[in-house]
Amino acid sequence: MKGSWALRDLLRHPVRSGLALLGVAISAALLLDMVLLSGGIERSFEKLLLSRGYQVRVSPKGTLPFDTEATLGNAAQIVAGIRSTPGVVQAGPVLGASLFARHDGALLPLVAYGIDPTAQGIYVLEDGRDLSLGDSTHVLLGKPVARRLGAKLGDTLVLVGRLDPEVAAPARSVKVVVSGLVHFLYDAKDQPSIALTLPMVQGLGGPHLVDRASVILVRAADGADTGAVVTQLRQTFPKLGVNTVGDLVAKFRERLAYFRQLSLILGSIALIVTVLLVGTLLAITVNERLGEIATMRAIGISRTTVIAQVVTQGLLLVVPGGVLGIFLGLGTARWLDAILTSFPGLPAAISFFVAEPRQLTIAALTLLVTGLLAGVPPAWRAANAPIAATLRSDAP
Amino acid sequence: MNRFLLALLICAPLPLRAQLLEIAVERRFADDAKVHIGDTVWIAASADAPEHAARVVAVTEPAADPATIMRRDYRVRLHLPDLAAILGQPDRVDRFGVGLEPGVDPDSAAERLNRVAFGYQVFRSSEIASQSSTTFLVVSRFHRAIAIISILASAVFLLCLMVLKVEERRLDVAVLRFTGISRRTVFRSLLLEAMVVAVAGALLGTGIAAVASAIVNWYYQRTFSTALIFSLLQWRTILFAVVLSIVLGLGAGSLAAWRLVRTPPLTLWRRAG
Amino acid sequence: MTTVLAAQDLEKRYPLHGQDVAALRGVTLSIEQGEYVAIVGPSGSGKSTLLTLLGGLDTPTAGTVRILGTSLGELDDRKLTRLRLERIGFIFQRFHLLPVLTARENVELPLAERGVGVAERRARAEELLAYVGLATRTHHRATQLSGGEMQRVAIARALANGPAIVLADEPTGELDAATGKEILALFRRLHNDGTTLVVVTHDDQLAAEAGRVIRMLDGRIVA
Repeated sequence: MKGSWALRDLLRHPVRSGLALLGVAISAALLLDMVLLSGGIERSFEKLLLSRGYQVRVSPKGTLPFDTEATLGNAAQIVAGIRSTPGVVQAGPVLGASLFARHDGALLPLVAYGIDPTAQGIYVLEDGRDLSLGDSTHVLLGKPVARRLGAKLGDTLVLVGRLDPEVAAPARSVKVVVSGLVHFLYDAKDQPSIALTLPMVQGLGGPHLVDRASVILVRAADGADTGAVVTQLRQTFPKLGVNTVGDLVAKFRERLAYFRQLSLILGSIALIVTVLLVGTLLAITVNERLGEIATMRAIGISRTTVIAQVVTQGLLLVVPGGVLGIFLGLGTARWLDAILTSFPGLPAAISFFVAEPRQLTIAALTLLVTGLLAGVPPAWRAANAPIAATLRSDAP
Repeated sequence: MNRFLLALLICAPLPLRAQLLEIAVERRFADDAKVHIGDTVWIAASADAPEHAARVVAVTEPAADPATIMRRDYRVRLHLPDLAAILGQPDRVDRFGVGLEPGVDPDSAAERLNRVAFGYQVFRSSEIASQSSTTFLVVSRFHRAIAIISILASAVFLLCLMVLKVEERRLDVAVLRFTGISRRTVFRSLLLEAMVVAVAGALLGTGIAAVASAIVNWYYQRTFSTALIFSLLQWRTILFAVVLSIVLGLGAGSLAAWRLVRTPPLTLWRRAG
Repeated sequence: MTTVLAAQDLEKRYPLHGQDVAALRGVTLSIEQGEYVAIVGPSGSGKSTLLTLLGGLDTPTAGTVRILGTSLGELDDRKLTRLRLERIGFIFQRFHLLPVLTARENVELPLAERGVGVAERRARAEELLAYVGLATRTHHRATQLSGGEMQRVAIARALANGPAIVLADEPTGELDAATGKEILALFRRLHNDGTTLVVVTHDDQLAAEAGRVIRMLDGRIVA
């Protein structure tokens, strides 16, 4: 009876109840978006980093993988050392370099990844055949490159490296056959990337790239203690940067601290507005109904019932408003995500707003508790209004 | 220069060696590492590369760059040949800056250079600036999107609160109408109230924004040790916000007031009773 | 005869503009079971104040009120509320029905608070509405009823939990003469059926129906 009573009381004033509901929905949407933003990109980044099963990255000390042009020297020796570390099942070096493809008389700049085909974690093969160890005649293309070159499986490309402006000719060039089309996991949108074997990239890139790698991906054995593996690697290679996925996410988080802080501020504002809106509506409703409430108390309705009735009214605004807000919030999150993921250089696979059940639950519960609390002061006031004085003042 | 990160190892001032390199460090690094002019630092191309001693000859304050502020990298300067030698890449640079004689058109100069270029490209400085500010533009678009959502939300909240506020007055309005006060007078009086609230709210909001802006700048300037302005309250922005607040407040107030005055006074009386 | 209500040396003072105004001065009375008592007097004589104290809606500055031997002053709010729910029925001048509820739901309200099941309280509410002559108006909202009908619903509500005593404050104050007569007849019927009634009224006809009339003036019982 309390529920239908509270609902009917709200429906007495459809315009203001409707507006309040809409207001709660918008607050809920903003709150949800801020909850999604607060950790979305980190979760997205972490998921991406773990997508191929490599839990550790080794890169030049003080840098994040591919964050600068710094490379690791004596890469082969380091990789061998990592592979012989207890708990490590795989270590895959990756070297990034700038190469060019001849196309229609011009040189098209490319991002080339030199990889070890037996231990790579940066692409997923979508069509054709993967590279093989020691392969020096094949190349894998990302879709943006294939599109721009109009290349398909089996086509031959001429790749050049080390352009020498003095003689206006490349120092090295090589013909390769497209053996596969791949999706590069960490690439920005439309990034023109290709993959070759590591020695090929080292050779094409120039003498300064011999035996160098940009990063080494490390996979620990299933069930192995990743922390112990990392500790061992740090001891063995004190001058290298050894980072777990957690370390990388933490550093990433530092760079994006602004978004966390913004999400906290805007989320808090959304909650404050919800409290003000629901609280004001209920306070005015209680004010208008003080006579009724005093009568209820006079005929023996307990304080608890009165409080429950007012709080129920608050919940009748907050719950449907919250549900509407979730749908609204998911829509605005897509819009905001589309804006933020246009950051230059950001991997296309990353999202800022990641909608997971946990996040939705946090937002919903926070809103619910806020709505409940907003109803408490007017409910308390209603329940404690002096009966006789209120009835007197309500008399004509 | 190549954007290689230099690993800087600091030791106590050493006796100067022959051919000590010269290095200028940025103030933030000097503060954090407690390095002064005259001190010797050891620099290397990477953590496992050979080290070179360098004397700090200057402490610089780089121009605040919002695109790189989050990275918190330390910036240093060396003589070009020294850096090239350390990096093991003699005769290599990332780019040249080209100064033109007065009167020379940058576009035609760039075009001529690009025709003979091999292995490099020539851009106008403004093109580089525009490319490097893409990050900034994305953040601006994001802020604008949040502002749109906030404005829409504010409009709804304002309307709701105005409706509540005005409806509270229905008994007063009923009595006024009973005593012969016209709809127009009642409407104007409610609108005046709404305007006072809107103006007062806008001014209060401006004050809060000024305080918040100061806090944001103070906090982030301390955090990133920079003179960069993170939040800038311009007169244009203030004017826009105030005008918008007043328009929204008046709009909401007039909608709420119109609802009330068009209701027959007897109905208002009964509802209030 | 059982004494349903006993008041001893009741006083009530209100602060007003820095001074104490005495609304009641040393009022003592008792009501026996089955009595029909009217409390009359000019405006400001303290009639309504007395009624609110008798019903436990307000606390006296001095004195005691007992309902069926229980002193109201010794009860906390929860117990006092419960006592009002189970032992006292209230009828107000302005009816004070909940406008969003139907006539039947208004009568069910105190039954629901006492924990009576849905079917039982529905049946009881309909029975009471039939008793007050509103069998055909059970599903109408309070706002759809006339003044007389609303007061009938209020009477049915007051009787919902079978109270030991019904307290009515100017029950015909908002009604026209004809409707007032209908309420009068209903009160007569209540009394004949054994309900203990205490009515504060300006209505001479209503007062005339009572078995005992208590006259008040300046916060005291004068007759």
